[in-house]
Amino acid sequence: MKLNRVTLLVATSAALVLATTTMAAATGRGAASSGKKVAHIQRGGTIVFDRGADIISLDPTQVSDNESIWADECIFEPLYEATPNGKSPIPDMATSYTVSTNHLVWTFNLRQGVKFSNGQEMTSADVKFSINRVAAKASNPWTFINADIKNITTPTKFQVVVTTKTPWSPLQADMALFANGVIPNNLAGETPAVFWAHPIGTGPFMVKQWIKGNSLDLVKNPHYWQPGKPYLDGVNFVSVPDDNTRLLQLESGSAQIDEFPAWSQVSELKSKPGITMSLFPSSWTQFLGFNEQIKYFKDVHVRLAISYAIDRAAIVKAVLFGHGTVANSQVTPALWDYNPKSPGVQYNLASAKKQMAMSKYPKGFSVKLLVGSGNQNELTMGQIVQSELLPLGIKVTLQEVNGAQETTLQDDSEFQMSFLYDTTDIIDPDELMTFAAAGGSGAQGTHAEFTNYDNPEVNKLITEAEHIFPQAQRQKLYNQIQLILDQDPPMAYLFYQPFAYAYSDNVHGFDVYPTGNYHFENVWLSK
Amino acid sequence: MLLRYVGRRLLLMVPVALGVTLLVFFSIHMVPGSPAYTFLGPHATRTAVAAFNKEWGLNRPVPVQYWLFLVRLFHGNLGDSLFYQSSVSSLIASRIPVTLTLLVGGAVLSIIIAVPLAAVAAVHSGKLIDQVIRFTSTAGLGMPSFWIGTTLIILLGLVFPLFPVGGYGTGLWGHADSMFLPCLTIAISIAPTLLRSLRTSLIDALGSDYVAFARAKGLSARSVLYKYGFRNAAISAVSVLGINIGFLVGGTVIIENVFALPGLGQLMLTSILDRDFPIVQGITLIFSVIVILVYLFTDVAYALLDPRVRL
Repeated sequence: MKLNRVTLLVATSAALVLATTTMAAATGRGAASSGKKVAHIQRGGTIVFDRGADIISLDPTQVSDNESIWADECIFEPLYEATPNGKSPIPDMATSYTVSTNHLVWTFNLRQGVKFSNGQEMTSADVKFSINRVAAKASNPWTFINADIKNITTPTKFQVVVTTKTPWSPLQADMALFANGVIPNNLAGETPAVFWAHPIGTGPFMVKQWIKGNSLDLVKNPHYWQPGKPYLDGVNFVSVPDDNTRLLQLESGSAQIDEFPAWSQVSELKSKPGITMSLFPSSWTQFLGFNEQIKYFKDVHVRLAISYAIDRAAIVKAVLFGHGTVANSQVTPALWDYNPKSPGVQYNLASAKKQMAMSKYPKGFSVKLLVGSGNQNELTMGQIVQSELLPLGIKVTLQEVNGAQETTLQDDSEFQMSFLYDTTDIIDPDELMTFAAAGGSGAQGTHAEFTNYDNPEVNKLITEAEHIFPQAQRQKLYNQIQLILDQDPPMAYLFYQPFAYAYSDNVHGFDVYPTGNYHFENVWLSK
Repeated sequence: MLLRYVGRRLLLMVPVALGVTLLVFFSIHMVPGSPAYTFLGPHATRTAVAAFNKEWGLNRPVPVQYWLFLVRLFHGNLGDSLFYQSSVSSLIASRIPVTLTLLVGGAVLSIIIAVPLAAVAAVHSGKLIDQVIRFTSTAGLGMPSFWIGTTLIILLGLVFPLFPVGGYGTGLWGHADSMFLPCLTIAISIAPTLLRSLRTSLIDALGSDYVAFARAKGLSARSVLYKYGFRNAAISAVSVLGINIGFLVGGTVIIENVFALPGLGQLMLTSILDRDFPIVQGITLIFSVIVILVYLFTDVAYALLDPRVRL
């Protein structure tokens, strides 16, 4: 998943936001609702869902932006999906599976009687076709998730056999990746252009119309397999880039859900009548990365000193207006390998100075910190880091570049320090471990999230955890990794950030999972 | 004569527009940041990036890419978007109506606001009403358009819910309803300049010998104002309006953002941030054509209003 685009040009001043919110509050016009909870589920209605950007593509194998991923998840369903707390997989298009004793052959039994939105029955041929598409081209964004799959066969109409190259314990979670969502074999005989204009899936909704760059109009799938669902007639995802406009549309009742209101608006929205302001746990973890190609950062004491010198609570307050949690490890609380008891490295200036004195550079040095221009969060964090590293003699210069350039410089490891973040796309620790902790040319070739950190012990433990099966044993290995990363950090772990949603009180059952899925099949509108 | 002039100007448009594409093509390719990384997301691997660049020909030298762009352009093809799986021309075509409505509607509304106020101010030059109009227009000049837009949304969308709060609406009436506030925002930001220039030239015209003569001939005050005052004052106002619309073409980006309008400006902004080169090139081409056409219309209108101007 990638960072939501920062609308550079919407330079709405703080004074304006203040004026807007006070004026709107003074008028007291909430969204059309009384705030009473209605006991009985009501059917019908369409939700207008304001988001900061439009989707890029309806093809789940071709997207890496959240807007596309989360909308595509309303249309296509994979073999498994995440539980609401995101900790484990539960059956979706599959009902059960068995694994061979050598842990190489996985047999998935499919849910029978599931129909696509065109009425056609879903079978094993469809599943095979869909999963094979994900890694069909080297330029596909999700090839790495399915990289351990050797081949797929379909012995019966409702059985799919996946053979892996190695005993691969994250496979069930990999099967829950949105990109592995099921579409009809051979695109139901249609050309790609025709199919992707009105794609066919087994999900609760299907596409009525996509006006590119503006809105995606979904209507209920009449053949949906869960009896009685969805309750809504449709969901209309509308692109509204301006934070203030999204908020005003919600208040006027022309939209029911506002995705990601500005952090500065959250507290006020919490007290606004007629509006529910929810912060759902997410897997978003924010870091300050050190590039070990820079000589100072080869020294573990320098990395530890910086890590101790940063007041994470101050950053959470300044950037998220207090609506986040200070991080205690590289692992996100959204995943099962998180250890809440781990103290991690926390703000302690005395320890920071001690570490700095132990380093090869006790007098400090000058270093550049990459920040996205127009990315207000990073600019604020950058200024805080700048002032907090001064007592260590480290002079930080902010290197401002625009968003696309920042991504390129990060991915090419052409930075000295940089703000990095992780979100997980699968509900297994493996994706983030190989991405952000494994060194060398690990599975994803990212050199510990571009930091060029390379700890052979960490690498060994990650590979080991990929190939053993009992979760308790894997958990032990991941806790061990976490302890090593605390003492020898590739980055400073800063904070965990929730998903913020403001919605009208007449929207019921809206729950966002840590991976971002909305599950609109459970949502209903009271009149 | 006029037709020949217009024909010559239209022909001149070709090198100017091509010059603009040349500048934009090389500058956007010089700006660091690659579309492969934006497309593939944070998990982009070296292999995936190389494959993406090869697939879209982004690994070839920039002059070669520009040449291919030109060849396609002469076949009427603006290429395909790197992100949306569709052609640039179809993406642009679906958004042109929004941006054009915004520009034309804004221009018309600004005339509706500026002309009567300028007339009142000029006729009562120096009196209280003139001072009030001049003061208000100065204040209008100082307000940034995103602020005007948000204020209008709060006032006319929320406090007095007369208009939709952003969006483009559906159907002809829906579009008209939704476009009123954005057009008004544009009008409020152009009207002050227009008003002030119209007022000054109107005062000049009304003080001139030919107006004194017309009055002496016994023509009614109204007839003098319309036939002699306005027609002469309009000449400078037309060029002021033309230049302002030219600037506004770039300014639509902000208005479209505030009002969540699916226009060219918004597409341009996201495409620049994503480095979707073909879209950026296509829209720049369209924007430059619009600006050139507006300037051409301005010159033609100028000639039609003022018989002394020969084209």
